[in-house]
Amino acid sequence: MKSNTLKYSIVILLLLQIPLLVFAQHRISGTVKNNTGEAIPFAGISLRSTSEGTKTDSAGKFSLQTKAKGKQLLQVTSVGYRSLKKEITIADSSIYLDLILESNAQSLNEVIISAGSFEASDRAKGASLTAIDAYTVAGNNADLALALRSLPGSQQIGEQEGLFVRGGTGDETKQFIDGTLLKNPNYPSVPGIQQYARLNPGLFKGILFSSGGYSALYGQAMSSALILESSDMPDKSSVYYSVFSSNLGAGIQELAKNKKSSYGITVGYSNQTLYNSVVPQRVSYFSGPEYLVGDANFRIKTGKTGMLKFYTNWSISDVGMRNADIDSAALRSSYQVKGVSSYNNLSYRDYLNDDWKLDAGLAYSYNRVNTTQKLIGGDEQTVELPNEPFAGKNYHRLINSDFAQGRVVFTRMFSHNQALRFGAEHFYSKDHGMANDTTIALTDNLTAAFAEGDIYLTDNLAAKVGVRTEHSSVISKWAIAPRISLAYRLGSGGQFNLAYGIFYQEPQNDFLYQTNRLNFSNATHYILNYTKKVNNRFFRIEAYYKKYKDLVKTAPILSNNGTGYARGIELFFRDKKTIRNLDYWITYTYLDTKRDYLNYPGEIRPYFAAPHTATIAIKKSFPEINSFVNASYAFATGRPYYNIRYSNAENAYKIYDQGTTKDYNVLNLQLVHLFSIFKSWKQKPFSGVSIGANNLLGTRQVFGYNYSANGNIKLPITLPATRFFYAGIFMSFGIDRTKDITDSNLN
Amino acid sequence: MAILLIYFSASAQQTSGIGALQSAVTKLDQAKTAKDYQALEKEFVKIEASQPRDWLPNYYAAYCNARIGFLLQDDGDAIEPYSDRGELQAKKAESLLDKAKQKRELSELYTVMSMINQSRVFINPMTYGPKYGPIAQQFLNQAKQLNPDNPRAIYLAAWFKYNTPKMWGGDKDLAKQLATQSLKLLENAETGINPHWGKAEDQELLSKYK
Repeated sequence: MKSNTLKYSIVILLLLQIPLLVFAQHRISGTVKNNTGEAIPFAGISLRSTSEGTKTDSAGKFSLQTKAKGKQLLQVTSVGYRSLKKEITIADSSIYLDLILESNAQSLNEVIISAGSFEASDRAKGASLTAIDAYTVAGNNADLALALRSLPGSQQIGEQEGLFVRGGTGDETKQFIDGTLLKNPNYPSVPGIQQYARLNPGLFKGILFSSGGYSALYGQAMSSALILESSDMPDKSSVYYSVFSSNLGAGIQELAKNKKSSYGITVGYSNQTLYNSVVPQRVSYFSGPEYLVGDANFRIKTGKTGMLKFYTNWSISDVGMRNADIDSAALRSSYQVKGVSSYNNLSYRDYLNDDWKLDAGLAYSYNRVNTTQKLIGGDEQTVELPNEPFAGKNYHRLINSDFAQGRVVFTRMFSHNQALRFGAEHFYSKDHGMANDTTIALTDNLTAAFAEGDIYLTDNLAAKVGVRTEHSSVISKWAIAPRISLAYRLGSGGQFNLAYGIFYQEPQNDFLYQTNRLNFSNATHYILNYTKKVNNRFFRIEAYYKKYKDLVKTAPILSNNGTGYARGIELFFRDKKTIRNLDYWITYTYLDTKRDYLNYPGEIRPYFAAPHTATIAIKKSFPEINSFVNASYAFATGRPYYNIRYSNAENAYKIYDQGTTKDYNVLNLQLVHLFSIFKSWKQKPFSGVSIGANNLLGTRQVFGYNYSANGNIKLPITLPATRFFYAGIFMSFGIDRTKDITDSNLN
Repeated sequence: MAILLIYFSASAQQTSGIGALQSAVTKLDQAKTAKDYQALEKEFVKIEASQPRDWLPNYYAAYCNARIGFLLQDDGDAIEPYSDRGELQAKKAESLLDKAKQKRELSELYTVMSMINQSRVFINPMTYGPKYGPIAQQFLNQAKQLNPDNPRAIYLAAWFKYNTPKMWGGDKDLAKQLATQSLKLLENAETGINPHWGKAEDQELLSKYK
């Protein structure tokens, strides 16, 4: 029996050998497993040179016959894993290989560095934020920056637009779209009244809100960066419109049949005249407020992995208002600002091969701000008074700004999700215009180069090390900014993060119009953070210290002699688990900051800094009745205010009066109900109604005080109307966009 | 003689494999908590090692992971490792089936694949829903096509109808109808090693109507 078996085996062996002998084929066989030792079925195995290939079976085994000889490149691919390339030498014998593929899922391998930042993306799991979570906080006025005030680190500023982060001004936060700077995110400023954002927050699938310590890929923002990633292709074609109390909107998204390209156009018009005639306003508007915005996008997939996106946004605005003049009971002050703006962004990304990725972007924006301020008498006629404090109250200013940016970033990817990124960008900006009879002209070329490495130290320890260098032509200065962050992952969802970096920023154009003998201002950040994400709950605590240097001083002379610091502790807790269909987060922000800048007589707590801030964002859905309740509440202790004036006696600026405003409280509420009508239609439309109120409780809010020239009168800066109401209906055909629409609040 | 011995020991191993599978499936009929399913999944994985050519151990392991996903549906990110494992196991089971002939088996497997994709939706409905929700529906449709009388596919359809808001196609009356239909088909369900779960699930769903 034994000998029979042996014979049989020999025959089989011989039979197996025959094809090898006849065709001189070689056999490559083996297994493909993941790094936990589990077999990977259906993994593709191929030889680069001959494009011969096979797939693994259910046990992860494969066998490939080939005529190829000598040095060959074997490629192994499987969905969910990083593709593996292995050089093999095919000699006469067959080859057996045990191959291990690394998962490309971030959660399994990569420690994601998160010091200083909140990421809201379409890849969010559990209680991590999504872009929609971030921009659906009640009371956001469709402005991402306002929505992000519900996250720790930002101040509750109600009298102007912008994101004031960790002792920084609104100007120290910059917004970037697909890598390029969004120079003018909001409509032109109006004193004491927050202006809307130009871009719909629903355009973005990813939002990275960095309150400090951000990547070397970005610059020119001393405090904070809002890094936005625009959406790719829509899932379906669709049309929608909305009718709200003070605005109208309509849009179309068309996805090509082959799903390789898409375009979209949206139009929005907002006119508050009617609303203001029903709800009395503190100021009297003689023009608008009126805003018209249109945008279009075009997206096309190029090749297998490339994506080209074009976005263009055009807007005009007009706000004209009259206020009592603080220095004279007989006079009033008239202020009108008209804006024309365009933002254009062309971005391209592609994988050049398995290891290299390219990201490139071009942006051009145009901005025209036409401001007229007049002193008017009882007969509506302009009054010209030659003496102070009235002499400077009649003015006209027209500024045209052109801004262009080009940017390219190369990424070389390595194993263990390591990567090296490097690139360069150039910013061109040109302002020209008139302030009364004086011509204003400023041209600046800012060039930056940067490199950054994601380094994997151990399974649980990762580092991001970067450096950025910048040169500004207008001030003829160089800056070199190092950035380092580290993440150490503990078991059970906990992680420590550390970050350090220097962040430079050019002085604002208003100062550069006057002199070019200025330097970059800068801030050095030190951040320590701990996060724990587990089971649909997310806890985060962060402490930081920030040192400001070379801030712009306007007195005694225009210089970079300003200094300052900020330090604080911030808490964030989000819970989606405890109660089903209830999602809430709570934050607390402690801020201790002082700075000496502009005309401050020394280091003082700036007017925009409240020591304690707490926020709550709540979203409750009632799927049974297709309804949503969305509420947000914010509390902040009083902010300092000052009357700083020039003292002729002391030949210096002096604080004549100071104090702290009352505490700030705001409750915003929004109700949304979705319904479907025309059910028999082929394309059943999705519809909804939304009503809401900002500052529902009607709390009197004081953001600061305006002083008369002699300091005898002080008037509170408060909301234009105590409460803001909105109500409307929207309807969408094709894709179900109800979610986006209800979410963007539509004020 | 030697060959005979090998034959017998092999077949003994085979029966012990079936025995182990039967005992695990019997335990599965009693499983309730995520912990129960976690322990059983390990057992099925062990059985799979001794019976790599049988689709059932992989099917049951995948089913355990899918169930865990449903039980942990409020735990978000905690679900993902189970979805990942379940998907891999389901794919292995799929590779062991003859797609032309084993339609009933494939219908069972696609029901579980549908559940696994739905478990991914639970990770974060906002980000994972648009991608995995439709895939879950596709698998369920395929499962129903392959075997219109599969009580487990009908149960899952009832689950979807019950848990989807009306606006997006949910229908509580239809859910009740489907669960009742599924329960009826399970009246004389066998208790062997072939998939036969569903009764308790149907009853649980129907109890919500009282």
